[in-house]
Amino acid sequence: MRELKFLLAVWQANIQSIMEYRVAFLTQVIGMMLNNFIYFAIWIIFFDRFKNVRGWGIEDMYITYGVLASAFGLVALLFGNAFTLSEIINNGRLDYYLSLPRPVLLHAIASRTIASGMGDFSYGFLSFALSGQFSWDGLLRFVLATALAATVFASFLILLQSLAFWMGVISNMVGLAVNAMITFGIYPITLFDNYAKLILFTVIPAAFIGAVPAAFIRAFTWQTLAELLAGAFVFLFIAVTVFRLGLKRYESGSAIQIEV
Amino acid sequence: MKTFRKYWAIFEITLLNSLAYPGELIGRSLMILPFMWIYFQLWNVTFKASGTNVINSMTLYSTMWYLMMAETIELSRPALARTISDNVKDGSIAYILNKPYSFLLYQFSNSMGETIFRALINALFGSAMVWWMVGSPPAPIGWLFASIAILGTWILNFCITCLIGLSAFLVEDVAPFMWIYQKFIFILGGFLIPLDFYPSWLQVIAKALPFSAMIYGPSKLFIQPSWALLGNVLLLQAVWIIALGTTLLISYRRGITYLTVNGG
Repeated sequence: MRELKFLLAVWQANIQSIMEYRVAFLTQVIGMMLNNFIYFAIWIIFFDRFKNVRGWGIEDMYITYGVLASAFGLVALLFGNAFTLSEIINNGRLDYYLSLPRPVLLHAIASRTIASGMGDFSYGFLSFALSGQFSWDGLLRFVLATALAATVFASFLILLQSLAFWMGVISNMVGLAVNAMITFGIYPITLFDNYAKLILFTVIPAAFIGAVPAAFIRAFTWQTLAELLAGAFVFLFIAVTVFRLGLKRYESGSAIQIEV
Repeated sequence: MKTFRKYWAIFEITLLNSLAYPGELIGRSLMILPFMWIYFQLWNVTFKASGTNVINSMTLYSTMWYLMMAETIELSRPALARTISDNVKDGSIAYILNKPYSFLLYQFSNSMGETIFRALINALFGSAMVWWMVGSPPAPIGWLFASIAILGTWILNFCITCLIGLSAFLVEDVAPFMWIYQKFIFILGGFLIPLDFYPSWLQVIAKALPFSAMIYGPSKLFIQPSWALLGNVLLLQAVWIIALGTTLLISYRRGITYLTVNGG
């Protein structure tokens, strides 16, 4: 409860900070929604021409793209520094968070809000509404699935970026893995054979931010809910554990850091 | 000649700089591998589901090599808009403007130096992957024609990204324009799906725009080289280079009049 109050205070400060530049904020939100819409048009063209890919149609794409966009946007909004955690580690900027009496990881990743995340987050709901499968109970499932997919995505980012404690500069690897995660998450899962699916549930857990939440939104089953919950908790546990192990190896520099 | 040497020197310096960190260069280029793999999964299933080996004159083989070239071009584009926008916003443009060279030609030489090796390494990794998946690459003439057309692509990309970067004179944040430009490349350039698979009305529109001259033109020349197609692609590129280049020059001159740099 104490941490939640702290988080709310951090997010409030972040929002006040980005609202200082309202025009830039609105440009980013509208720009990102437009960006998503134009990107999705490719899938409209594809499915207009080829109808379906092993039973996967445009309605499935609307939902998959929607939940992935909202989950990505939620992480960008609430835990923006998860995208640059390895740089924070490498530049010695964890010093600032270590010197304060709050959970280091939570404080570090929640200290930035990426404004364009609001565009992604909102677009996801729009995409779901356009899918032709909208229902009020479906909307509740969409919200829950988005939260769990965002947990997996944030955990994946933390896990990956925490490797910087051992490997130093890993920005290329992070870029590659995040791109792969998003790309594999968007594409129909029916394209992949069993070996590839194994990778998509483990090494690059793209199935947990695309196909599995989409299946849960389309129709409730205990199995998909259990898969989503298990994915979220397991990856969160691994991510936090790896970060804590890495933190023991953290070496501060003598550079003067200013956190604004 | 002296003027040319000046910009050639800038190009050479950036080119050598890009080789200073081979790990970085190779690391970035590895990104093409998962993309090519997933495209193969998508188009393999799509061709099988269609029950035919040829769709609108494209086979799985030609589609994959087309996508390899498209991906190479796209992944090699330098982030010039962000550089120029940062120059404008933090005032460092002032340090370039007072040097004895043109700001625009300086940026062009600089961006070309960044692009060349990135494109070569992308093409190398992408080709190895596609070769393994669908077989040997198209005829050497395809490489030659595509390379000629890619020069036009780079000039067009320079004009558009410069225009976006210079818009920082007027707006606080240029990132949304970059995202949308990239998505126009994706959809109207035929980057993710070759334009041959589009409905004919959309093909007509897309093939008249600069984005198709940047991605579809060179990629199609790579897999189906012909003098007629080369002529069409180069003509379309020339028309758009004149139009966008003129707009860029006018915008640059007007932008400079807005410029206010604070000392410190």
